[in-house]
Formats: sequence, structure tokens, C-alpha cells
Amino acid sequence: EDLSVVGSWSSLPLHKSYEAPFWGTTLPAAGDFNVELTTHNQMSLGLGDIYPLLGQGVYDVAMTVADYAVSDAPELEGLDVPLIALSADEARAMVDAARPMVSEIYRDRFNSHVLAIAPYPPQVVFCNAEISSLADLTGLKVRASGRMTAKLLEALGAEGVNVSFSEVPGALQKGVVDCAVTGAGSGYSAGWWEVSSHLLPIPLGGWDPVVTAINLDKWNGMSAENQALLTDQIKTGFEDLAWASAQDALVNDIACLTGNGECPSGDARSMTLVDVSDEDFARARDILTSEVLPEWAERAGGDWATRWNDSVGKVVGVEIK
Amino acid sequence: MIGYVSIGLLGLLALSIPVGIVLFLLGFGIDAFFSNFPLTKGLGNMVWSASNSATLIAIPFFVLLGEILVRSGVATRTYAALDRWVSWLPGGLVHANIATATMFSATSGSSVATAATVATVAMPQAEKLGYDPKLFSGAIAAGGTLGIMIPPSINLIVYGFLTQSSIPQLFLAGLIPGLGLALMFMLITVIICLIRPDLGGLRRTFPFPQMLRALIDLVPILMLFGMIVGSIYAGWATPTEAAAVGVAGAFLIALAFGGVSWDMLTQSLTGTVKITSMIMLIVIGASFLNFTLASAGLGRELTEFMDGLGLSPLGFILVVVVLYIVLGFFIETLSLMVVTIPIIVPMVLVQGYDVIWFGILMIVLIEMALITPPVGLNLYVVQGARKSGNLNEVMLGALPYCLTMLVMAFLLIAFPSIALFLPNALQ
Amino acid sequence: MELKVIAILRRLNKGVALFVGAGLLVCATFVLTDIIMRRFGTSLGGTEEIAGYAMALATSWGMAYTLLEMGHVRIDILRSRADSFKRALFDVFSMIVMSGVIITIALKAWPVLERSIKNGSTANTPLETPLVWVHLPWFAGWVWFALMATTITLCALSLLIKRRHGDTEQFIGAFAEQETLQ
Ligand code: NA
Ligand code: NA
Repeated sequence: EDLSVVGSWSSLPLHKSYEAPFWGTTLPAAGDFNVELTTHNQMSLGLGDIYPLLGQGVYDVAMTVADYAVSDAPELEGLDVPLIALSADEARAMVDAARPMVSEIYRDRFNSHVLAIAPYPPQVVFCNAEISSLADLTGLKVRASGRMTAKLLEALGAEGVNVSFSEVPGALQKGVVDCAVTGAGSGYSAGWWEVSSHLLPIPLGGWDPVVTAINLDKWNGMSAENQALLTDQIKTGFEDLAWASAQDALVNDIACLTGNGECPSGDARSMTLVDVSDEDFARARDILTSEVLPEWAERAGGDWATRWNDSVGKVVGVEIK
Repeated sequence: MIGYVSIGLLGLLALSIPVGIVLFLLGFGIDAFFSNFPLTKGLGNMVWSASNSATLIAIPFFVLLGEILVRSGVATRTYAALDRWVSWLPGGLVHANIATATMFSATSGSSVATAATVATVAMPQAEKLGYDPKLFSGAIAAGGTLGIMIPPSINLIVYGFLTQSSIPQLFLAGLIPGLGLALMFMLITVIICLIRPDLGGLRRTFPFPQMLRALIDLVPILMLFGMIVGSIYAGWATPTEAAAVGVAGAFLIALAFGGVSWDMLTQSLTGTVKITSMIMLIVIGASFLNFTLASAGLGRELTEFMDGLGLSPLGFILVVVVLYIVLGFFIETLSLMVVTIPIIVPMVLVQGYDVIWFGILMIVLIEMALITPPVGLNLYVVQGARKSGNLNEVMLGALPYCLTMLVMAFLLIAFPSIALFLPNALQ
Repeated sequence: MELKVIAILRRLNKGVALFVGAGLLVCATFVLTDIIMRRFGTSLGGTEEIAGYAMALATSWGMAYTLLEMGHVRIDILRSRADSFKRALFDVFSMIVMSGVIITIALKAWPVLERSIKNGSTANTPLETPLVWVHLPWFAGWVWFALMATTITLCALSLLIKRRHGDTEQFIGAFAEQETLQ
């Protein structure tokens, strides 16, 4: 079976540690698969084009952050709601609950079959400003990516600013932005700790789940054995491994940034860890459920809100009214 | 596949098909012969995402800035002022060409725009004062290339955009190599003209008071540079937004010099649209070709080739230099960058080189490509501004400067701090 | 006849180019306003998104003007050595190929618009711009470019058949207008 595979960001650990070994070694070793692997940034694909082109059969398999595709499928935003999963286990439970909906969306919108959903590290908040609670974000300029995160920040009283990833350190230093949201590990390796003082370790940007999907015609044309083999292999050889390391990665990355605990990836830094109080958190959750999620329900239309309540909502204990 | 692309590129270019269209054709060819997938289905999406880019809007802004400066007479005054200061050197006015190009490089992000600006104001002088056309026009073509090394720079913006590295740091890193190149260009001119005084034309000295008065005419350009670069480092504007600041500044300067008229405005705007579309057809074609090449496994092919050579980091970087010089003969420079960066840069980084440093090295090589035939945009721009003579003269005249750039490339490899000193010092 | 058509197309596209240029100027003003407003702690919001759209539209609608001004870069190593008849052959061949490619692009641009109509797509940004608003004029720009390229090709072919190949040089030749290149 020949497969042309487009991976996610080539520079990030998910691709280097899990995607590349799986498609390059694990799968070809397990069965008769011949894989041609590249990544969407190496192809300079537009982020919003990755899944639509997959649906048209321009390549066989693609994986990227589901959030990049919400232009064509606003209902997909429900896969990655900020603040409702605080640990990797909770995030996985959320993703598993959403899985049937995600599969349906990919089938109907992108003519493809979902093979796996793996996490990027949770998207936490780096601030170059004295903050002690979520309420302190009010009036600050925050760099966020993704629509629901931007909307949540606006609802919290912060002002969204557009800055590309590589310009964030300069922008934080000069006060163009006061805070910026990214994965703890990315922030550590990109040196954001040099230009920011406070770290809010809550997933205000969600977990950025990365969906791996295969073109539906390709999938239907595969033999039942190969389908079973691929499904099985990608779960054990990719998805489970990526999730297993997610919680440790978060703990380690926060240790590296704040100096509370062992840092396996290099020198520990000394950012101030901001403790989010229960009331604080409850208030943010309240804004989420009373403003941000109902807005999403309207964007998504149909019965998506009900279905979300019955699946993801049940697992995380949130209801969209 | 690499063979197919090289031969196809040369053949189609030789048929005088527009460069941008050739890139699309090669993409279609890769789709037809090297890929099992319907890549052309992605054409519409590629065209949309390649042009829907807030980063690239810096291109029309910088072109417009140059148009305004030329059409309002500011460029001519700058040239005359620099002439007062440098024409006593062996080589005379040739130095004014280089100095003016350096000056405009500091306000323009594009080498083509810089060369065109200088050529427009300098060419009439060459004929009047009886200069050897080769060295005179070669100096403009080469000096113009500094437009992408001295900040601001569209090519550095594109490099930063594609490699996710910091654009302000790249701008800082380009400053010393850019000014260094300008000095080296002047030095080589002096050497050539000491050996062959007939190439240099008249050396002229001006009374000191005249030189002092001329300084006033440099003020507008320096102010413009201050506005553009200042707004970036003050944290007011992103490098792309700074191009808009530059347009506003050029307008204010043109107003102050009384050079704004309806005609001047419409000509500047249509001129901007023309150059922008010219560049964008090539950029879009290159990104489609890049998409097909990546899908068909060029990355793997190139990686295997480089791995197969089993080189040391130094050997590796020398192979990269040779690769860019060879590709630079035939490929338009912005396309060359867009096509090669996603493949070459990761390999360079694995060898332990710095991403900012390599950006500057690449810009030197790209500058060379701008003045090497057959595809050398600056050569054509300068030739276009001349009223007589043929292209060979410009090519020949640019050759010594081309070699100077090669020396700069080796200097950068030997002493990386030429590029990295400023960004590190100001970190 | 043919030259008259070309003259009309030139005037038409000069108007388009002016309009596009003015649009770019508006965009620059918009960016500038945002920079200034940020100094005062507010922001227009979404300038980056809008600049991207402006660039896509300026590109698609500016192409035909550049074509008529003979501004698209061509290499004329062989062509410049040929006589006027062979040069015309080079030029007409190049125009036929170009028209074919541009028509292909225009055709392939349709699915992009179709998708945003079918899905009612909105930009993945706080502005939630309905993508039809930008995809439609963008698509129209490429169709316009394809129409212009085809018309020019037909005019040139017609002149070639009438053995008036000398006349084609002034609208499909190479580099004629280089002196205005900035
Ligand atoms: Na410059
Ligand atoms: Na060249």
C-alpha cells in the first residue's frame, strides 16, 4: 500500500518524536506500507487548505491542528474548548468524547476518515506583567491564536493582538503585547522566559489537538486487513505514545520555566508561577459557558450544541445553555 | 527529477515564456510525470494562499515608496549631493552610484526598486560626462542589490517568515555586511580605476562649502530611514507595517519638496501595480512548483544527496554556496528563496549553524544571483534605463562586483560575527 | 482593428490598475492608522487579515495591466537574435502558453470560491469575515486576466496570419517598457 503523508509542523516535538518515527519506521515494519512523508510547512500549504486538499485526494493522509480547519467547519471548534481540560487525562477524555462528532465532521466536510487525535502541549499564558489572577488580564494586550481563545480573551476583558510566533519575544520586551499564549515547551525552547516574568499554567489556549485523517476514497479502497492494521498500529504506535508523554511534558516544561522541580531539557528558569484561585477559575469558566460557548453554538448551528452537551459536556461537567 | 526541473527550466526560459508561467508549467510537469496524485487540484488553493499574505504587502509598499522618491525629484537631489562627496575618488561618479544605491537601500526593501531608482537618476549623467558604460552600469546593478541586505528588506522578511526566525534580528544582522559590501564595492572600483584609469572617467573635486551645503539634500533620505527602521526598533510597527510608515514618510518628503501632483500620483500607483504583479506572478508560480516538488519527494531526494556526500559542516556549507551560485544563474531570486528555504535551511541548522547567520549568507548569494546572467533581474532593470548599448556591457561591468560578493560570502563563513555581532550585542 | 482592441484594453486596464493602486494606498493608510491608534492603547483590529486580502485582490486584478504593459519578466537570449518574423513567432507562442496556464488557474480558482459558498466559510479570526466576499472578487480577477490574455493572443494570431508580424512587437514583445520599471 503506497501512502503519501503530510505531517504537522516539522520543527515541533510531535512531528519529530512521534509522527516521523511512526510513518517512517513503525508502520512500514508492521505491514506492507510504503510511505512518502513530508510536512505541510515544507510544502508551504495554507493552513486552512490542508484538510480540503486531503478531501480532494491531493495526498492520502494529513495531520494538523483541527483548529486550522474551522473556517470550513465551525462546529469543529467544539473539539478544543479552552479551560475545560486541565490535565492530559482530562484532555484525552474530552477528545475521546468528541471523537464520534469529529469523525462525522471529517467525513461530511473533508471527505476523509479520522485515524488518530494527538495533543500538542497545552497552550499556557506567558506574561511580561505583574499578574496574580485571571482578572488581572483585563486591559492587557494578549497575543493569541485560534478563534475561540481570542473570543475568550476578549470576554475576559483582554485585547487580542496579532503577532507572529517569531516576533513574540520582541513584542513582549517592548510592551507591544503584555502576554502571549503558546505551548509551555515551545515557549521554553524559543526563549520566551527571557522576556516574560509570569506564567499562568492553565490551558487558556486549549490543547490544540492534532487530527490525523486519511482520504475517504483511499480508505475505502484499502483491504480490510490493511484498514485494521493501520487503525491498530496508529493507536499503539503513535496516539497512545503521544498522549502518554503529554502530562509529563507539561510538568517538566513548567518546572523548566519556573525552577519548581527537575528540568530534563536544560537549565531551569525562574519565572513566577501564578496560582489560579478557585474563584478566579470559576469566573473564567462562567464567562466561557455563558458567553463564549453559546456564541459558538450559534456559529456551528444545527444540533451541535446538544450533541456537545451530551458527549464532551458530560465528561467535563459543562453545559451550554 | 532535479534533472528534469533544471533542463525544463532552461528550455522553457530560452523560449521566452514568462518566468512565472514557466514555474507553473514545471509544476504541471511534475504532477504529470513524477506524482501519482492529482496535485493540480491544489492549484487554486496554492494561488490563493500564496497571495493572501500580509507579509508580502510590504512589496507594493516599498515599490510605491521608490516611485514617489523618483517622481518627486528627491532621488535626483540625493544623487547630486553624494556626487559632491565621493567623485574625487579614482572612478569618479561610479562611487556616487554605489553611495546612492547604499543610501536608497536603507529605505527600500527591494533590490529591483533600488537599482531602478538609481539607474533612472544616474544614467543621464553617464552620457553627459563620458563614462565607460560597462563599469558605470555594472556598479548600479550591483549597488542596487544592497537593497535586500541593508534593512529594510523584503527578502529578509520572506526568509524570517519561512524559517520562523526574528525579522528585526535579521535586519540588524544585515547592516554590517551591507555597509561592508558597499565599502568593498568602492574599494574594488578604486583598484580597477587605478589600473585602468580610462574606465573611470572624470574625477571631480568640489569646494568644501558646496559639499557641506549638499548634506542638506541627504536629510530627507536619512529621515526616511530613521522613520522606517526606528518604528521597528521602537516596537511601534512590525517590519511589514514599517513599509507603510515608509510610504507615508516618502509622501511627506515629496510634499515638502513640492513634488506631488496628480500625474505623479497616478504614475506612481500604476507603476507600483505593474511591478507588484510582475513579482507576484513569479512568487505564486514558485510556491505552486514548490508544492509539487515537495509532494513528489524533492526534500527526500535533496536530503539523501547531501547525506550521501558525507560532508563536514564546512564542506556542507561550501556545497550550499556552490548550489546557490549555480541555481542563481537561472532562477529568479525570490522564487529561489521560496523554493529552497524549506529544504535547505533545516539541513543547515542540523549542521549546527545559526539561522540568522545563514539568512545573511543566503542574501549575499541571492545578491549575486541578481546580477548573474541569464536570469538577473537587476541587469535587465539597468539595461532598460539605458538608451543605447547592449546587455553584455552591463554583465561585464557587474562581474568584478560579483566576485566581491563571493569574497563577502567567504568572509561571513570565516567570521560569522560580521553578521551576528549586532544582533547579539543588542539582544 | 487588432491594434484598436489592444488600445482599448490598455485604457481599460490602466483604469483597473489605478483602482488597485488606490486600494493599496487605502490599505497603507489603514495600517498606519492602526500603528498610531496602538500608541493610544486601542486598535482597529484585523489589519493583518485585511492586508492579506488586499494583497490577494491587488495581485489578481493587477496581472492583466502588467501583461499589457509587457511587464512580466521574460528571458530573450534566443529571441533577441531572431529576425522580426521569428520574434513574432516566439511572442505568439509564449502568449498561447501563457493564456493556457492562466485559463487553467482561473478554472482551478473556482473550487476555492465554490467551497466557501458551499460551506459558508468564515475566516478563522475574530473578524469572522465571510470568505465569499474576498474569494469572489479574487476569482473574478483571475477570470479577467484569462480573458485579457486570450484576447491579446487572438489579436496577435490574427496579425500573424495577415503577415503583419511587425505590429505584434508593440504589445507582446519583450521589455519594451523597461525604462519605466521602478
Ligand atoms: Na533595504
Ligand atoms: Na542570475
